[in-house]
Amino acid sequence: MAMPSDVGIIDLMIGLPVADRRHNYDFLRAQLHDKESLEEFEFPVQYMFKDVPKVEEKSDPVAYLLELMDHYNIEKGMIGASKVGDAAYRAMKDHPDRFFGSMQVDPNAGMDGVRDLVRAYEEVGVKAATAFPAGLNPQVAINDKKFYPLYAKCIELDIPICVCAGVPGPRVPMAPQRVELIDEVCWYFPELKFVTRHGCEPWADLAVKLMLKWPNLYYSTSAFAPKHYPKDIINYANTRGADKIMYAGYFPMGLSLERIFTDMPGVPFRDHVWPKFLRENAIRVFKLDE
Amino acid sequence: MRAFESARAGGVVDTAVGMPKSREEMYEFYEFIRKQTRDAESREGGGLEFPAGYMFKDVPHWEEGELDDPVAWLIAELDRHGITQAIVHVEDEDGQRAVREHPDRFFAGINIDPNDGMDAVRKIARYAKEWDLKCVGAFPAGLYPQVALNDKKFFPIYAKCIEVDVTFASTVGVPGPRIPFTPQHVEFLDEICWFFPELRFVTRHGCEPWTALAVKLLLKWPNLYYSTTAFAPKHYPKDIVDYANTRGADKVMFSGYFPAGLSYDRQFAELPDIPFRDNVWPKFLRENAQRAFKLPSTPAAG
Repeated sequence: MAMPSDVGIIDLMIGLPVADRRHNYDFLRAQLHDKESLEEFEFPVQYMFKDVPKVEEKSDPVAYLLELMDHYNIEKGMIGASKVGDAAYRAMKDHPDRFFGSMQVDPNAGMDGVRDLVRAYEEVGVKAATAFPAGLNPQVAINDKKFYPLYAKCIELDIPICVCAGVPGPRVPMAPQRVELIDEVCWYFPELKFVTRHGCEPWADLAVKLMLKWPNLYYSTSAFAPKHYPKDIINYANTRGADKIMYAGYFPMGLSLERIFTDMPGVPFRDHVWPKFLRENAIRVFKLDE
Repeated sequence: MRAFESARAGGVVDTAVGMPKSREEMYEFYEFIRKQTRDAESREGGGLEFPAGYMFKDVPHWEEGELDDPVAWLIAELDRHGITQAIVHVEDEDGQRAVREHPDRFFAGINIDPNDGMDAVRKIARYAKEWDLKCVGAFPAGLYPQVALNDKKFFPIYAKCIEVDVTFASTVGVPGPRIPFTPQHVEFLDEICWFFPELRFVTRHGCEPWTALAVKLLLKWPNLYYSTTAFAPKHYPKDIVDYANTRGADKVMFSGYFPAGLSYDRQFAELPDIPFRDNVWPKFLRENAQRAFKLPSTPAAG
């Protein structure tokens, strides 16, 4: 049951550390209504995350991140670009051996969003699309028609889409991220590789049912400290779901790598599950060996 | 009358032409509609060989063995009426031959069913690659199961039409066959044109009885067009004729219903009586279709 130390870890959610993050969550403000979120929180879910990593001003965030990754044996990290040409976009271009990219999509952008995804795929070879349905303005439900051209495009490009599912931390409505909405998407697009992010809570049991039902549905552990991994998910990984559950962190957004990897050895995965969880499933699903 | 004749002499485009087939073949073809009807008259077929036959009194038909070369037969018929360009289905062998052998005359169209999911999307991509595809068509009420025009299943189809720059054409309004009309309500066009402003969308089969709404939407959305398929000219909705004569001269185009339900003899006998203004005729008969479907503009026919 011991976590192996010789597996090159793949982290499906990591970001470039930036000291000044005051404006990172501006996109959410338009939809927040409570005073605490609007006036007191720097990070919209700080009521849950006690030790949001402090990042010092570094001259070279890429070098700093690589150093940290080396320290925790993270061989590769998936970093997200939200627009063509941003810092993450450049990092994946400059360090293809350590970073692979994802492209954040907004179905509200219609065909322009579809074209941006194609461009990111062609220019820097992004390995996935990502989406945060409850954080969009306006919100777009996982099974909303506006998502459908993007799902179709992911199939055409043969890349997964990683989507936040479950109650979102920020104090915005949860409806667009209900786990049950995934059922229809997997039914209509059986070829789509759909990877959930951010826990699927409190419907982790439904997530397990759906993963069993739909061969191309996967789960990643982003935004959860290992001590909070849902029990349903650990059990599933230890039984029929060894090929379905993948590690994703949350640095620097909400969790330090130190916290994550202090907790990690306490997760009761079975021996054969660990390498799949830390590395092999990600290589297969995100086609990292191609 | 003179304006009609001189416009016609410049060429006519029909954006929805079928290959003539025998009665038996057509009866078989309509099985996809019959299976969703519930009334005895439609189901048993006896009275209604054509599922909208209660409305169409003189459906063109051929007996088996009467058509040894449907393409040649069709060309003769088009020539007789001055139709210079026609969109036909290239899923059909005769349609393929027509486009291959007469590329100035015939243009490629296909039909899709969003119930096929990604296979429908790939079908568009494949035909767009293999043919100079001009039209992707759908019949939302006739699909099994039915799929509303604004249903999410249609959205990847619309996106692909934009990507390959091909026009989408659909039946809109109450369908003739005795199946529910809901999937073809005109009001759905608003959402589609909003989300996909680049999509060129051409309505077929009349938009009735919501033609007033159709006119509002044609005015509102630059890439929305109206074609007169399945309507004998004497039944063209007044709203549409008025709109073509005013702000909508560039939006309304002739399309027939041959051979599915109307003969060209009937259509061209009635057309001159439509009170279009002189400037509208060449747009209606030819130019709007050429623009909406990206067909080449033709030199005046002889």
